[in-house]
Amino acid sequence: MTRMNTVFAGLSRAVAVTATAGALLGPMQAKAAALAPGEYTIGFVTENTGPLAAAGLSYYHGAQLAVDEINAASWMGQGSKLKLSEKESGSDAARAVQALSQFVADRNVIATTCCILSPVAGAMKPVALNAKIPLVLYGATMPGLPQLPYVTSIVGLPGPQEVTMTKRLAETLKPKTVTYFVNADNEAFQGRFKAAQKVMEDAGVKTNGVVSILSADTDFTAPATQAMGTNPDMIMVWTTQTPAGGIIAALRARGYKGHVSASDVISPPPMFKKIGAPLAGVPFPVLFSAEMSTTAAAKKFIDEYQKRFKELPDAYAAQGYTAMYLIAQGLKSTDGKPTREGLAQAIASIKTIEHNLYDGLPMKEGQADYQKSLIGAWSPDGKVVAWEPK
Amino acid sequence: MQLFLEQLVNGWALGSLYALFGIGFGLVFSTLGILNAAHGTYASWAAILGYYAVERFGLPFPAAIAVGVLGGGFLAVLVDQIGFQPLRAKKAGMLGALITSIAFWIILDSVAGFATQQQSLAFPASSYPNQMVPIGSIMVPQMQIITILSLLVCTVGIYVLIQKTRIGAAMRAVGWNEVAAGLGGVDARMVILLTAFLAGATSGLAGVLGGISTANVSFTLGEGLMLKGFAAVVVGGFDDVRGTAIAGICLGIIEVFVAQYISTALRDGVTYSLLLVFLIARPRGLFGSASFMRA
Repeated sequence: MTRMNTVFAGLSRAVAVTATAGALLGPMQAKAAALAPGEYTIGFVTENTGPLAAAGLSYYHGAQLAVDEINAASWMGQGSKLKLSEKESGSDAARAVQALSQFVADRNVIATTCCILSPVAGAMKPVALNAKIPLVLYGATMPGLPQLPYVTSIVGLPGPQEVTMTKRLAETLKPKTVTYFVNADNEAFQGRFKAAQKVMEDAGVKTNGVVSILSADTDFTAPATQAMGTNPDMIMVWTTQTPAGGIIAALRARGYKGHVSASDVISPPPMFKKIGAPLAGVPFPVLFSAEMSTTAAAKKFIDEYQKRFKELPDAYAAQGYTAMYLIAQGLKSTDGKPTREGLAQAIASIKTIEHNLYDGLPMKEGQADYQKSLIGAWSPDGKVVAWEPK
Repeated sequence: MQLFLEQLVNGWALGSLYALFGIGFGLVFSTLGILNAAHGTYASWAAILGYYAVERFGLPFPAAIAVGVLGGGFLAVLVDQIGFQPLRAKKAGMLGALITSIAFWIILDSVAGFATQQQSLAFPASSYPNQMVPIGSIMVPQMQIITILSLLVCTVGIYVLIQKTRIGAAMRAVGWNEVAAGLGGVDARMVILLTAFLAGATSGLAGVLGGISTANVSFTLGEGLMLKGFAAVVVGGFDDVRGTAIAGICLGIIEVFVAQYISTALRDGVTYSLLLVFLIARPRGLFGSASFMRA
């Protein structure tokens, strides 16, 4: 019996020692399972020159701000930092692929991010898949671009926000006829146009005409004349940025007094600076607006952005910012020193982007799923305000 | 009918821009023998200079036009003297000049991109005539009237200069044979400078007017004009400004009517098919002289 007591006493001591050691070592074990301290380089294919440079700079500035914020707050863990490595594409597919190939060759680059234009993103996708490197799309809107685990997108698919806005326009403005402008050479805008047209036609609004333009067009006097010739109650502009501004300016210059709506391409401040008064009152769906977004994260982002870049952030800057947080969240969830494959899996498994400017941002099959969109409009003095029907 | 007439005027005004640009392009080719790929950048730079003249210095519309025209002219002279004159001295031929002009195109385009911070800018609406003018049953923007009249004045002026004056005779002589013209007492260097300036200035005028009318002042402005202006020169004939003017207007009208009545997707296809037809069937163009040869 004494011998048994001795054995039990020994076992008890062993258990106690083990428990104590476990209690002491537990945090250390958790620490060992976290992201290994170090600098993690993200290959950023910029579009700071070329036809989309205005938007490209916004994406880039948003990303820069996010990286600095993540590093300053040790958001990924003590000693873990992000670094941006940039290569310029000028929105050219060949240059973009070349930049991505160089990032692939650089083993310091753990993930990449790119592309405003869908065709450019489409060209990048197979390269990223073959090289097994995470690629986060920050601007391209064409459906079907994400392919898990390597290709993900923080861009909302065209459709939901356009549908929401179009329903409201149909209900409040009650137009009988609509004429649409659409890019003949841009699938994403054709998708937006078709979604809006369906909503309007379901509401009994007749299509008076569809005026096609091309992305590279700059003279919109003739297309404006063509649209006005169809005599619609309302004109919806589903085109890329430069044409959208030009079309609205041409319509107003030619004396069109009816309702005009557009997409979020007219939301960046440089657009109002360029086009001015003709944009006032034109409704557009927007996911983020410096004047309308009210979450704490959005307000902080707006303040910091304005301090650093001396201008208000636009929706594109918010997307660049979000792309960095998606990658950072992926890194944060990995153990030890992540590989590109491991990081891709980690990003692919993200269900919600923790830190976002949109009051919640779920990820669905590698694509951001924006659920809350706003309807904004420029005021005559150049501020984005909540749109009110007049 | 009203729509047809409005689109006719739209096409005429658009074509006038192509023609204005094409006149300068054709002048350089016929007189100096240079197929100048950098010519589009003169229009871009003229529009940019005009824009900043208004935006930064508050100059009125006519002064902005003058700044753009002079800027385009002086830039053309600068490019000619830095890039083409040394080649001319070495009798390097057209290929050398073409390659040099491509280099200038890339350099000037890149610098223009920095000058505009890669953005598309627009003249403030209050800085130029932007009212609609009733003409019969249609309304025409003031800028379209100004563009159409500008082409008329430039075409007549340059035609008279080339065909009816001693300077024009000297230009034609240099275009035919620089050495022979020099032996005949023509100051070839001065003629070259004048031609380069005129070419840059007319293209500059197209750039400023186009930048205002389309609310698009950017480093890519000249590229669009370059292709259509080249088509106008080929269709109209390299050595006759009347042909370029008429061909430019026709191209603009065709472009607008194809988009209005057929399809936007076919718009540029029709323009360039026309160019191809002329290159094959009538390479000297509508008004070009049969004896004119450069290639």
